[in-house]
Amino acid sequence: MSAEFAQMASPAAGPALEMTGISKRFPGVTALEKVDLTLAPGKVHALMGENGAGKSTLIKILAGVYRKDAGSICIGDAEIDVRTPRDALRLGIKVVFQEIALISEFTVAENIFLESYPTNRLGSIDWHGIHRDAAALFARIGFDVDVAAKVGDLPLSQQQMVEIARALAHRAKIVVMDEPTSSLTPREVELLFKVIRRLTDLGIAVLYVTHKLEEVFEIADTVTVLRDGRRISTKPIGEHTEDSLIQDMIGRRIDTLFPRSRNKAESAPVLAVEGLSTARLRGISFEVRAGEILGFFGLMGAGRTELAKAIVGFDPIHAGRIVIDGKPLSPHDTRTGVGLGIGLLTEDRKADSLMLELSVSHNASLAALGEFTNAGFVNESRERGAVQGFVDRFRIKTPSLDQEVEYLSGGNQQKVLLARWLMRGLKVIVVDEPTRGIDVGAKSEIFAVLDRLAGDGLAVVMMTSEMPELLGLSDRIAVMAEGRITTIVNRSEATQEALLNAAIA
Amino acid sequence: MPQSPSLSAMAKALSRSNEAVLLLCLALVIAFFSLASSSFLTILNIANVFGQASLAVIAGVGVGIVVLAGEIDISIGSIVGAVGVPLVVIMNKGGSLELGIAAALALALMIGLVNGYLSAYLGINSLIVTLGSMFVVRGFLYLYTAQRVIPDEQGLESFYQIDNGRLWATVPYPALMAFALLISFMYVMRCRPFGRHIYAVGGNPDVARLAGFDVKAVKFVCFIISALLAGVAGILLSSRLGSAVHVAGLGFEFQVVAAVVLGGVSLAGGVGSLFGVALGVLILSFLSNGFGMLNLATEWQLVVTGIVIIATVALDEFKRRRS
Repeated sequence: MSAEFAQMASPAAGPALEMTGISKRFPGVTALEKVDLTLAPGKVHALMGENGAGKSTLIKILAGVYRKDAGSICIGDAEIDVRTPRDALRLGIKVVFQEIALISEFTVAENIFLESYPTNRLGSIDWHGIHRDAAALFARIGFDVDVAAKVGDLPLSQQQMVEIARALAHRAKIVVMDEPTSSLTPREVELLFKVIRRLTDLGIAVLYVTHKLEEVFEIADTVTVLRDGRRISTKPIGEHTEDSLIQDMIGRRIDTLFPRSRNKAESAPVLAVEGLSTARLRGISFEVRAGEILGFFGLMGAGRTELAKAIVGFDPIHAGRIVIDGKPLSPHDTRTGVGLGIGLLTEDRKADSLMLELSVSHNASLAALGEFTNAGFVNESRERGAVQGFVDRFRIKTPSLDQEVEYLSGGNQQKVLLARWLMRGLKVIVVDEPTRGIDVGAKSEIFAVLDRLAGDGLAVVMMTSEMPELLGLSDRIAVMAEGRITTIVNRSEATQEALLNAAIA
Repeated sequence: MPQSPSLSAMAKALSRSNEAVLLLCLALVIAFFSLASSSFLTILNIANVFGQASLAVIAGVGVGIVVLAGEIDISIGSIVGAVGVPLVVIMNKGGSLELGIAAALALALMIGLVNGYLSAYLGINSLIVTLGSMFVVRGFLYLYTAQRVIPDEQGLESFYQIDNGRLWATVPYPALMAFALLISFMYVMRCRPFGRHIYAVGGNPDVARLAGFDVKAVKFVCFIISALLAGVAGILLSSRLGSAVHVAGLGFEFQVVAAVVLGGVSLAGGVGSLFGVALGVLILSFLSNGFGMLNLATEWQLVVTGIVIIATVALDEFKRRRS
């Protein structure tokens, strides 16, 4: 593929889409600052950047979900105005979001023709035609699926293909894919890439949004890197190396992003997991010492979140032992877990951890309420004193302790949750994707907090899919695949390739 | 799709089809009472049950559509009671039956417009809206009638025949009407884009909006359909009672909601079928009729009905969790 770059400049085929000077501000944040992006027909353009770099904002503007504040979007010579997702589709732009937008009770075929049902002369839906045409669309992208199956019964990877087929049904000229592989197995990724190549063969321009290096080198023709809402570079993939891409994405060398205040821990293990098996996990064993950060890496579905939930006692376990500071944790019982000093910072802050409508103070003190309670009454001044201490220590940006956490930034919400656990005096903290949805600046603050916690003698277990934070923060790295630990290595011995190979194994 | 599905695959598909399970339940209920009572399985009795069930089928189609769209309508009992007043009063003042029916439907339409506007366009929770209109409509009904029955004084034969007439002296007219309405709306829900829009709106409103459907308009129309069908049921009930009765339709909404749920329509919207609703109504009607034949106290019928509803829905929930 790399030999074809010359063609990109070929004047015969003008760009499929040109975005120029796109800016977007949200209250308090500049999400995009004068970003340019040009898509060529029949080419895969990768859009890279860390979480919070502005990738999602840019594609949501393209999809008609957000309105841009400034800049122009042109197809051919005409400037287009994308006000709604429907507009986008009408203009030939199909965005496949991570959250699949299909009606799960409907069949594959019906979902494809949702926008306009083919009808017969009497206005009755032509079901036969719908099934026939849907099957033909799948044949065109070279993907085999039962078009009469209910979408809800299909695995996510196939639902994604249904979305792609919808793009063809609407004669889309531009297909945008938002982190399409985040929940796919390696085999499914291969299939997806095959389908993407079919799309480009049909002359469709593909905008491929990702933060995974290896994919970009395999599928992309051109790469645009965003950082902090700005376009950093646009280059043919041939001009990039892994290092140059990382450099563009993080803007500094990895080691400067991650503070290190501590030395390697030599103390006794605080958390020991022995032969742990659950519905999704097989024979997991590892130890974490006080003052140590153990990073867990793995592809989506490898079982990291399940492991996090099992070791804090949230999920039932089938076999194995979890020992905290010499005392066994009774499985499937978060109360003894909390009592023994293990806490979990969940992956989905909003759904699992925060009470969005409650104040910073009430959210932070939740797990430690007992300590401020006398004879059944909460001593509010002691509660607020303790919370204020953490607000100062973690530099939580909030107008007051009474502010509803809903209105805090992602990074500050995460700090409130950390405060919640630390108020109890934890020995082990498990963090699942600690920087998801947090912008780059706040990330390094979260890293600093985690680093300091380890420095203060906590054992930290960190589940992450972000290679930089894995390599930057962990003392040791465990790699998971299909519910097992495939390897545990010291950070100094870890390379991206070796970790990825272990994750695919 | 496999060209010739094997027998076992077909059996599997059937067991997963909610309607097949309901049909089986209905067959079991009928079989049980046929054995338990000799007067149960007679053409006359079966025809009577269909006649009695028809009101709930007609209103159930409407409520089923609203629930499929992800909303609920519990004002229908009050509508059933209220429409009798303009109908009977107009006839008593010398108006024609047709005029009375038009007025009855106009009243139902008005209530449906209000329900739909408040729920769909103003976005107020439809349980609250229709709970409110249930009280308001019933309140006005009591005020207007001074809590007394308004008998039909003209005694038009055509009015009497609406509910009490029988085709070939066997099949009650209301059963025919219920059947016709059921089939029409089943066709709409299955084969017309509008019907699919209702399922889409109830199944995933965000996707429906992305697909360019007017989610509010779809819901609005559903409330109007529901109110009009309740109006039709109310007209039939007035004919059955030969008067406008201030307490007519009291508690009817819960019978209907029970049948809708029993029929496999998810209260979350988007899942279920009108055929299922009709089967739900029939199961409850045959249970009630059968208990009557066995001289079981009506109190026990309430108990059994409640248990049946909870058991069916619980069973469905377990089935879903396993898969």
